Amino acid sequence: MAYTSREAFFAFRRSPLLTALSIATIAFALYTLSVFGLVWTNIDRVLSDVEERVEVIAYLVDGTDPTETSALMREVAAYPEVDSIAYLSKEDALARARAELSDYSALYEDLESNPLPASVEIALKAGYRDAADVADVATRIARFAFVEDIKYGEDWVQKLDFLQNLSLFLGLVVGGVFAVIAFVAIGATINIVLISREDEIAIMKMVGATRSFIARPLVIEGFIKGVLGAVMALVLLTFTYSLLEQRVVSLSFYSPLQVAGGILLGGALGAVASIMTLRRHLATW
Amino acid sequence: MILFKNVHKEYPRTGYALQDVSFHLRKGEFTFVTGPSGAGKTTLVKLVTMEERPTAGMVRISGYASDKIKTREIPALRRRLGIVFQDFRLLKNRTARENVAFALEVTGASAEQINPKVLRTLAAVGLSDKADHLPSELSGGEQQRVAIARALVNDPFILLADEPTGNLDPKVALDILRVFKDINLRGMAVLLVTHDRTLLGEHPRARIIELDQGRIVRDTANGGAAG
Repeated sequence: MAYTSREAFFAFRRSPLLTALSIATIAFALYTLSVFGLVWTNIDRVLSDVEERVEVIAYLVDGTDPTETSALMREVAAYPEVDSIAYLSKEDALARARAELSDYSALYEDLESNPLPASVEIALKAGYRDAADVADVATRIARFAFVEDIKYGEDWVQKLDFLQNLSLFLGLVVGGVFAVIAFVAIGATINIVLISREDEIAIMKMVGATRSFIARPLVIEGFIKGVLGAVMALVLLTFTYSLLEQRVVSLSFYSPLQVAGGILLGGALGAVASIMTLRRHLATW
Repeated sequence: MILFKNVHKEYPRTGYALQDVSFHLRKGEFTFVTGPSGAGKTTLVKLVTMEERPTAGMVRISGYASDKIKTREIPALRRRLGIVFQDFRLLKNRTARENVAFALEVTGASAEQINPKVLRTLAAVGLSDKADHLPSELSGGEQQRVAIARALVNDPFILLADEPTGNLDPKVALDILRVFKDINLRGMAVLLVTHDRTLLGEHPRARIIELDQGRIVRDTANGGAAG
């Protein structure tokens, strides 16, 4: 045990620069992943808020026969995507406009005729609220001849969908590149240690030290580097988050469990990088 | 103990290093392996330590067969062998005591066991008074004694020495041979690989296996005939 812990810190003294580089690259890998992860979860949160309000509104041609309207409502209500459906008459629409836009109520009071169309408001079930499903329902309703116009949150639902996918993609690509650099840097540090300790390792093999005994301090060292990198990433992330939090609306952060998971992930990254390098070097006995 | 059965060893680039080598070393036996350079002596040592496996035939060391042993079992085998090299292979930044202790530390011995064992073994090779010297403060003969102590400290069943006197002058070489003979008298088998024929004359009762171009040309255990 004394041997293992003494050796685990050997590389830090032996090659401080490479050690720092290993820690920094792990930090950047995890930082990138976590920033984009945060973007992803926040967009996800916004989307699910939005999605609860997602409705398709079909505006009807003036003078549409009420029997036709109720036929439409029966048919649309039967769509598997549809949660609820409600009819809003011209009068109701005007009343609602007056209530919601009270500042402009003067505008409506002078009206001789009602310019607002009657409409049908359709709310969709959870699970059918993404851009593709909403568009699909809208297209089907648009086929009714007396539907004059259709409105739904197509644009920004799609944009947010796209942003969310983009953040996932960027996070994986950029984070992945840093992870690869971290692997190479950790491998290089271990190579240096192995070369500088060639004699010692040869003697260890000769007197019957096991592979795990020789490898253990180096794997522990890799794990420590990974954890330090993750802590550094966490500091950077907290800083970034508080900057954004001040300027933008409220954002959600990772839960303590997720933070702990991220730190363990850093440790695992460092340990795996060490094991992969050692496998090559300690293959022969 | 140590059994070689029709062992062939061929290297991809240099060809045969050993051909049809068979012998059996018994408990407590003192054996010289001799022959000119390139005869296959070092290959023989590597087959005993299982650093190399035979191309054909079989090597059996204390219950481990070359065709069945797994890589993870090799450390256990090595702990049963005491290995000594021509170039001593001591760690320069550690004292004699620490060099011997190293073999115990890295094989998982407990801290309380290490010190008494190390001192006992250093005494057995006559180096008690130099325990705290660094290799650079010791003569060649003394350094080789430290290496022998390191080989002995794990209680092996055989001491395996590859040209242990190759870097020493003749008088010191005889001292070292005497150390091996002492150890052998206490019951431990010794396999001493050397090209130095004068050593052979110093221990007439020892068994001699002579190699030439990868073949055994003399084995005194078989009345001097080739095995």
